[in-house]
Amino acid sequence: MSVRHAILGLLAHEPRHGYDLHGAFEALVGGRGVWPVNPAQIYTTLSRLEEAGLVVKSMTRRVGGPDQNVFELTEAGREELDRWYESGAPSMHQRDEVFLKITLAVADDRARPERVISRQRATLYRDLHELTTRRSQLDTEAPLAHKLLLDKAIMHIEADLRWLEMTEARLHEMSRQPVPEREKPRRGRPRVTSIDKRPGEEGGDDT
Amino acid sequence: MTIAETRGLTKIYGAGETRVVALDHVDLAIEPGEFVAVMGPSGCGKSTLLNLMGGLDTPTEGSVVLDGRDIAAMSDDELTSVRRKRIGFVFQFFNLIPVLTAAENASLPLVLDGVPPKEALGRAEEMLAKVGLTHRSGSRPDQLSGGQQQRVAVARALITDPALVLADEPTGNLDSRSSEEIAGLLRQVSGEWGRAILMVTHDPRIAAHADRIVFMRDGRIVDDTRIANSDSARDAMERAGLL
Ligand SMILES: Nc1ncnc2c1ncn2[C@@H]1O[C@H](COP(=O)(O)OP(=O)(O)O)[C@@H](O)[C@H]1O
Ligand SMILES: [Mg+2]
Repeated sequence: MSVRHAILGLLAHEPRHGYDLHGAFEALVGGRGVWPVNPAQIYTTLSRLEEAGLVVKSMTRRVGGPDQNVFELTEAGREELDRWYESGAPSMHQRDEVFLKITLAVADDRARPERVISRQRATLYRDLHELTTRRSQLDTEAPLAHKLLLDKAIMHIEADLRWLEMTEARLHEMSRQPVPEREKPRRGRPRVTSIDKRPGEEGGDDT
Repeated sequence: MTIAETRGLTKIYGAGETRVVALDHVDLAIEPGEFVAVMGPSGCGKSTLLNLMGGLDTPTEGSVVLDGRDIAAMSDDELTSVRRKRIGFVFQFFNLIPVLTAAENASLPLVLDGVPPKEALGRAEEMLAKVGLTHRSGSRPDQLSGGQQQRVAVARALITDPALVLADEPTGNLDSRSSEEIAGLLRQVSGEWGRAILMVTHDPRIAAHADRIVFMRDGRIVDDTRIANSDSARDAMERAGLL
């Protein structure tokens, strides 16, 4: 996801080597327990960024030990980072697995949508327990950034729980309606016209 | 081993036209030190459940077993004593006595139980310190914030060293910050001090502090879920759509 741009953002502060970047990312989000990224992912992303000319190995530095490759932002990298700050990040809440489970379960005689909802509620509450635990462990000295990230996750779960409750209340109503189907089969596939594709952001729904 | 248990617990109010089945054969067992949240729409029987478990009301059918004993089989004196010593109550509107200080309020159950007032006050001061209110023990309720008043109520509930604390919407009258603090305190009461807690709440964020959530509807338990010891926070973040 946005690890690519996070790397650019971290390099904008100062040139760093790969290992540094990994630690810097963990420090930023509040630890691997919150948002783990493995070092391999950082290195792979770095070499892609290098191929794309967005970062460059700027020098080899000797720190009383082996040489280290230090990465630095290029002009193109700076421009890409600026574009990222300027653009909105897409919300993708409408691509929802729980929605799919519930709507399909409603029309499936062997499935039980009430049970799907109950399982999902349990999952959300377990997540909420974990997150509120973590949140309450952050003391007043903890970085505000870490609190804000956990607050965001908590707020999303609260919204998911509200939606689940609303959907549960309307389950009977839903079961009286047929599953939405297209009226007439269209010929051919809709053309995908997305430019500037990024991973996880493709426009097509048939993937 | 369970500390409190209900068996086929049923409560029917009124008769004929006005007949309401407030509780409908509820079976619930609570372990020592367990923190259980009760959730469900208004009128589904949550308060009735707590009142019956606390011996404040009598069931139409079924039983409540505390410390292995059916409370219906207890004499009035025994029940009064159990209610005072083995169960602590926390309410939405604190229910403190306005003319008494925080320490006097917290000491009340001991005084009613015959402990000399001076000794009772000393133990109340200790309990207030435990709930984070050392410096306010001489304040009257109207000199305290809502969150502080609820802390006094928690101290009062804990003063007799009860096995079970019953809390009916303890954060229902508090702002979100004080609510979080009270929920955190209750978590400590169960997790560190080993008291079982049964807490009614509407707020998912408060319920999330519990180890287990019981969902009720129309006087029945429709779902009973352990929420503590889940998978990692990473999975939680992922599902919240942040990864
Ligand atoms: N003393 C009472 N007399 C008659 N009906 C009552 C009494 N107490 C509660 N009820 C009814 O019993 C049902 C459950 O009430 P309650 O346990 O207070 O629900 P909750 O706490 O979940 O909102 C409701 O329909 C309520 O109107
Ligand atoms: Mg109630």
